[in-house]
Amino acid sequence: MEETPAVQINRLVKEFPSPFRKTRVRAVDDVSLTIMPGEVYGLIGPNGSGKSTTMKALLGLLSPTAGSCYVFGKNSLKTDSRQEIGFLPENPYFYKHLSGEETLRFYAKLCGLRGKKITERVDEMLEMVSLQDARKRRIGGYSKGMLQRIGLAQALIHEPRLLILDEPTAGVDPVGSRQIRDLIVNLKERGVTVFLCSHLLEQVQEVCDHVGIIFNGSLVKEGRLDDLIAIEDQTEVVIRHASDRTLARIRAVISDAENAEFVRMGKPRTTLERLFLDEARKSDSQPKEVDDSPELADNHSDKKGADHAKK
Amino acid sequence: MVIADHTFTQLVRMKVFYFLAVFAVLMIAASFFEMPYSRTTEDTAEQELIILKSTAMGSMAMFSVLFAVAATALLIPKDLEDRTLYTILSKPVPRLDYLLGKLAGVLLLVLVSLLLMDSLLCIILNYRTEGLIAMEIEKGKALGWPPDYLQMRQDSISQQGVTWDLQAGVAAIFFKAMIMASIALLISTFSSSTLFTIVIAVVIYFIGHFTADARNYWLHSQGSNVSQELKMATQGIALIFPDFQLYNIIDATIEGKPVPAGIFRKLATLTLFYTGIYSVLAWFTFRKKEF
Repeated sequence: MEETPAVQINRLVKEFPSPFRKTRVRAVDDVSLTIMPGEVYGLIGPNGSGKSTTMKALLGLLSPTAGSCYVFGKNSLKTDSRQEIGFLPENPYFYKHLSGEETLRFYAKLCGLRGKKITERVDEMLEMVSLQDARKRRIGGYSKGMLQRIGLAQALIHEPRLLILDEPTAGVDPVGSRQIRDLIVNLKERGVTVFLCSHLLEQVQEVCDHVGIIFNGSLVKEGRLDDLIAIEDQTEVVIRHASDRTLARIRAVISDAENAEFVRMGKPRTTLERLFLDEARKSDSQPKEVDDSPELADNHSDKKGADHAKK
Repeated sequence: MVIADHTFTQLVRMKVFYFLAVFAVLMIAASFFEMPYSRTTEDTAEQELIILKSTAMGSMAMFSVLFAVAATALLIPKDLEDRTLYTILSKPVPRLDYLLGKLAGVLLLVLVSLLLMDSLLCIILNYRTEGLIAMEIEKGKALGWPPDYLQMRQDSISQQGVTWDLQAGVAAIFFKAMIMASIALLISTFSSSTLFTIVIAVVIYFIGHFTADARNYWLHSQGSNVSQELKMATQGIALIFPDFQLYNIIDATIEGKPVPAGIFRKLATLTLFYTGIYSVLAWFTFRKKEF
């Protein structure tokens, strides 16, 4: 039997009325895409390209002008389709008067969870996003990274099969950003389908196995990431501790080979992000005096998050 | 139910109950009020109790209507502005449940506040009534009033004390708040500004107090020339602008007049009808709203 797609968007068109003009603005133009269960799909494009509009249509927050959206075979305009969805909006804000734990309890109840199950899921989610220490603290005092993580926890509270993330690492520092990406990879390993929007291309490349590129509301390219970015006629070989003589011999072998052409040789570079994270880990492992001020408590919590992500 | 419970908590944590402290001070101050000696009449005791009730019921009516309108007008735009609405509506929550939850949360808070204020009023009013009766009996005995007249004075003062009719007046205050909250809910589903919602709701509130007089005056001035269609149009206006004069039993209860059960039932039914109409209209606007 053929598997039901996690997401199916069929020829989606969304137009908005334009103030002071008779014409309408077409934010999404004939977009079709399919995401199979277990895939991590990244929709990339510049600001205003139609990424968030596509997501909102999938969440039933917007009605399509034409076309349709389905989540595990259910029309996205129907409330029950949302039982399978967890959503983290861009720059999420939650009720400031609630603590982290109360926030998760509230969303758990909205999803129909009751009794002991709520307590179990709340504990599990707080541990997953490394916010156990801040569970009783009001959301109003959370840092940006902590807000993003509690947002991820609320999205996953009811164990959805599809996770929709709108710019999940926007405005988050590199440590928090790394932790969120590690969580996405972890969810992928557990079989959760992830649909994310971002304009941070490196991060999308790191976690997604399928991508779609959207420009001015139209999907201009789509497919498996490896297929899209591989340079088919080139091969990369990385050698450790190679002497100058070895390298010269390799070059000689290549020049002797039929149809082969030497393109480039040099030292691979680490990324600035990796360098930053290594330094952060090193400084975190050094003992220092404890200060209970809220700001430092936030940083401490963020670093604990990074540790959790490393595990 | 989850949203109603959360809305109640949200409003409580916005320190709304501080108003109750102001009310308590007002009540205690009013309980010390005594008629000036020069204006003392036979029914001075009753007048003092009426002033106490009037102060309390006036404050309760003002708080409940202002709070019902302001809180309802604030909550939905705030959820939209903070994007918490996205996270709520992306859960399996029907939009009707969201709207009714918000309304129920606000009304629950108004109800709890009114019950607390009503309790305080009953305690102080009862204490004051007992005191005034004791003083009146003492005075009557000193002046040699006959027992029948003493009993009559006692009954007359008791009538201005804590009665079930007074509770009907408090219920009518809540009914008014219910209607105003549902009107604010309807306006906030299409308005993008909290201020606009509050202003329009307050205008409707005032129109609601004059609509019956205006209609009767107009029908009277037209005499028998009014067509059936026009009469129906005036009834239609009454649907849009609720007739708050029907809720004048509040004034009657302050004056210690009895409230017939039939009138109270009619008022309760009318309140449910208006609240239902406005809530359904709010849902019609909100169910297709795009975010």
